[in-house]
Amino acid sequence: MSVQDLANAIISGINAGGEQFLEGTMAAVLPVVWLAILGLHLGRPYILDMIDRFTLRLGADLLWLIYAGLRDLLIVSGVIMSFMFFFPDVVLADQLPLTGGLAACALFGVLLVKLMGDPDHNLRDFQLTTGLLGLGAIFYFVPYVLGVQTNAVATGTLLNISNFLVTSSNPDWAVGIGYVSVALLAIMGAVAAGYTLMTGGRADMEEANATNP
Amino acid sequence: MKPTDIADAITQALVQGGSQWMISTIVAFLPVLWTMALILHLGRPYVLRTLRRCGLRLGADVWWMSYLLMRDGVLLITFALSWIFFEPNIVANSALPLTGPLATLALLLALAVKLSRRVDDDVNAYRLATIFLVLGATLYYGPQVFAVEATSQPNLAGFGQFFTSNLNLPYALPIMWVSLAGALIVAGWLFVRTMISASHTMARRLSPTTHQQTPESKPVATV
Repeated sequence: MSVQDLANAIISGINAGGEQFLEGTMAAVLPVVWLAILGLHLGRPYILDMIDRFTLRLGADLLWLIYAGLRDLLIVSGVIMSFMFFFPDVVLADQLPLTGGLAACALFGVLLVKLMGDPDHNLRDFQLTTGLLGLGAIFYFVPYVLGVQTNAVATGTLLNISNFLVTSSNPDWAVGIGYVSVALLAIMGAVAAGYTLMTGGRADMEEANATNP
Repeated sequence: MKPTDIADAITQALVQGGSQWMISTIVAFLPVLWTMALILHLGRPYVLRTLRRCGLRLGADVWWMSYLLMRDGVLLITFALSWIFFEPNIVANSALPLTGPLATLALLLALAVKLSRRVDDDVNAYRLATIFLVLGATLYYGPQVFAVEATSQPNLAGFGQFFTSNLNLPYALPIMWVSLAGALIVAGWLFVRTMISASHTMARRLSPTTHQQTPESKPVATV
């Protein structure tokens, strides 16, 4: 073995190990992000209760803005960190929840409803975002807990189910679901871009029409 | 193999591996930045709706300022990190999206629209910036997802071969040079425009004092 061979081997190790470490860290942090998103979304009545108790308008405004900003930024972070579910190579190489891509689509759907509707003041939109978050949580946590975190201890039928729910041990389904997720995300992204182009970045259509020359 | 050989190998590996690791980290991080930039830009209507519900001017200002800083900061960082698409050695040796340089050029054009027109007040300017951003994101995501990150997919082998920079140098390098030329033209135009604009602004600021000076008036210090 020459010096260059050894150097190349170490370089491959650094790069492959670093990439897997990065993906592994993101996969490990995602459940925390999901739980925080659910906690903040479902904690809305508690925040509203607290706001009613403020004697100063400034405190109430700041609490609501910090709450809304944190909640929505976490949803954006969830979508961004879920991008690895859309890369076929990553899905095949790593142990990820089988329906993680669909969970990311549900999160993006929540953002789309927030963009086009008003979940904080419209009951139908709020129910829609809650439903999408619930669906996304099922898509993420069921394969994560029963698949990724159980396949080392499961036996028999449970092991088969567990392996089915993990991307690296079920490559055909994983890549198929990945493609479906990419298509869904592309459609929703196109809808969001179309809506923003129509409104010209204004708060709603009426205002956009009013400001149009 | 002697101990010094092993030391040399580790040193080389750390230097070369560190460099490759830095590049691959930037490449891995770019989809994150592109998505964040797009979401923040497209989310403007939602941010405006939230802002209007603020009872106090202070809260609204803090909210809007945080949004603007994040949105434009992310755009700028994305452009800065996308500079790797304009470095021929990296384009030739690393697996990058073939149309990455064009995506970077579209991003720069969106930034140029923001710098030259009032995107937050002019609906058409906002639409133009949005079109450049969506175009850039499409040029970036397509090859990134279906070529660079899909080497394991035999059905995408042809697409992957064509749209991965180090596998298609006859196209990758010309696209890079054309995009670099475009970026330099846009940057040059921005530079000239800023110089002219600054000259006009300063001339306007200075001109009233020169006009006001009459034989009776005393000299006034200009600020």
